[in-house]
Amino acid sequence: MTIVRCLLLMFAVVALGVASVGAQDVVKLGQIEAQTGPNAIYGWMSSQGTALAVDEVNKAGGFSVGGKAYKLQLIALDTRGEPKEATVQLKRLIEIDKVKYVFGPFLSNVFLAVRPYAVEFNGKILMWGGATRIHDYIGTPDHDFLMRTWNWDTGPNGFGELMVDQLVKAGVKKIALLYQNDQGGKVMEDIYVAMFKKKGIEARLDYFEPGTKDFSTVLAKIATWKPDYLFPGYADSYIYDIVRQATEAGQLKKFFLVRGSLGPGLKNKDALDEYVVYVPKYFEEAEKKDPKVQKFIASYKAFYKRDFPYDQAPLCSSSCYDHVYMLVEAMKKAGTVDDPAAVKKQLMSMTYDGLWKIRFDEKGEAVFNFDVVRLRKGGAIEVTTVNPK
Amino acid sequence: MTQLVLGQVLNGAIIGAMYGIIALGITLTFGITGIVNFALGEFMMIGAYATYALAERAHLPYAVAVVPACFISAAAGYLSNKAFFRFTRNNLVNGLLVSIGLISIFESAALLLWTATPLEMSYVLPGAIRLGDVGLPKMKLVVFGVIVVVIVGTYVALARTWLGRAAFAYAQNPEAAQLMGVHTPRLETAVMLYSTGLAGLGGALYASLYSLEPAMGGVYVLKGMEAAILGGIGSLMGSLWGGVILGIIEAVGSIFLPTAFRDAYGLAVLVAILLFRPSGLFGSE
Repeated sequence: MTIVRCLLLMFAVVALGVASVGAQDVVKLGQIEAQTGPNAIYGWMSSQGTALAVDEVNKAGGFSVGGKAYKLQLIALDTRGEPKEATVQLKRLIEIDKVKYVFGPFLSNVFLAVRPYAVEFNGKILMWGGATRIHDYIGTPDHDFLMRTWNWDTGPNGFGELMVDQLVKAGVKKIALLYQNDQGGKVMEDIYVAMFKKKGIEARLDYFEPGTKDFSTVLAKIATWKPDYLFPGYADSYIYDIVRQATEAGQLKKFFLVRGSLGPGLKNKDALDEYVVYVPKYFEEAEKKDPKVQKFIASYKAFYKRDFPYDQAPLCSSSCYDHVYMLVEAMKKAGTVDDPAAVKKQLMSMTYDGLWKIRFDEKGEAVFNFDVVRLRKGGAIEVTTVNPK
Repeated sequence: MTQLVLGQVLNGAIIGAMYGIIALGITLTFGITGIVNFALGEFMMIGAYATYALAERAHLPYAVAVVPACFISAAAGYLSNKAFFRFTRNNLVNGLLVSIGLISIFESAALLLWTATPLEMSYVLPGAIRLGDVGLPKMKLVVFGVIVVVIVGTYVALARTWLGRAAFAYAQNPEAAQLMGVHTPRLETAVMLYSTGLAGLGGALYASLYSLEPAMGGVYVLKGMEAAILGGIGSLMGSLWGGVILGIIEAVGSIFLPTAFRDAYGLAVLVAILLFRPSGLFGSE
């Protein structure tokens, strides 16, 4: 009898233990970003930073909302930048995995493809991505589920407008735009052709077919127009080839970019004259003075056991590391993990001071500090930090 | 404008030579063995990635890395021939089906191994040679030279050697060639090895100029096919000329018309030429 009682007692203890583990529920975060593919620059770092933050939160014991303990579970799917694939993945996240918080997408073509499906879940999910086209829908009826995690190009706080203002101050008269003939290129045309016209800079736009590798003809054509700067596309997969071919043939040596990384400039630093690029944060410089950046870099190296990707890291400004912490904070303040609308309300009123100082405007679009990096021939770098009002 | 057009004629010829090397593979395989290999672009991709791996990861000098890369590509061609292509001789539909399957397999394997993120090699020969206002990258000139030597060398080898004559005999009448002592299965294998090795060389040269992606072969096999048809299927020098003409049409067309539709210009001219010369510019009737 005593043995039976002992066994029952042991069973009770084990059952209680299991129950207490079970009590720490899981909040599922879904992610649809291009982790690979020609446009992976818009997605890879977000997927890296999100996984790191989720790991940190969980290792710290999770978080508590309404007296209940929670951990995070990230379901990160690689869209490869393919809209159809992303649509299937979002369907899986929402309907099978029952995800309420979706990180991404960063790519406009992916967003436009998943939007009609996501609209059906308005009020039931929160989707926050960096896609430029989110700007067109955010704050409109049936799109309460949307938040945009990247700076907008135009307006008084627009990074693109602030950068173009620098060109105006420098006396630039002519700029050549070379975009890929796809959704992203059309977005860029919509924004920048009008902006240059408004600022009194003569702009010329050429498109190239997606998949193009040899740009020598279009570059030669552009060179005869003698622009002050070349403004090439938005994806590094093309920008590497464009910058190389333009500088190698000595046709064009000044570049202006509002998307893409510093990498193509650095690779061709001895052949170009100037490479001006919007960098949400120039980590090489920020690491020297910001303890949060130092901690992030150290955590990244420890977690992934590899070198820190300084060239990709600036793209962690969209739906990434900080945003996981913001979401956790918002859920705590809202006192719920199940009501995306209540969580969104908290996010809208929050200013988060992490790797970036992030807040959202009245529509739900992010406003954060950023850097403009000017690379000159030979590799000299000048960084200007801009703090939008 | 004259400088611009002249520059693009030269540039188009160089790019066209890249099409030419794939066209040569197509024309050799189809013209001699009767096998349709639309997957040649994938063997080009294999050559390109192999060169990247050997040069960037194994740190071999580029010129050294090119040789094993061609052999790797040829080895993949040999296996594909033994497993699939040899059963598709003179059967266009079967050849097409096998090609589509292989394209899918090779691309998926490359995606798994290398991901779809573009890779760029260190510059092999940076800088350009200036001809007036025209700047021609040195590496492009080297690539052009190598391709011309390979195509002319192939032509001479086929025209002047016993093996070449055997190949032509095989193309005309396989049974008669066999009766005359030509070991036809071995010849077929040799042609497949050579054409896929050539595609590997094209890939190795491509890697020195452009960034690499698993889907890169698709574009080039289409261009190679256009060049081969333009030059005339079965004509070795026609493949080079077909590629060069196609490259020039695309480059010069892009000067006067929008660059966004560059691929269409070559196709439009191809259709126009085929209306008057259905066997291509250098093909026999």
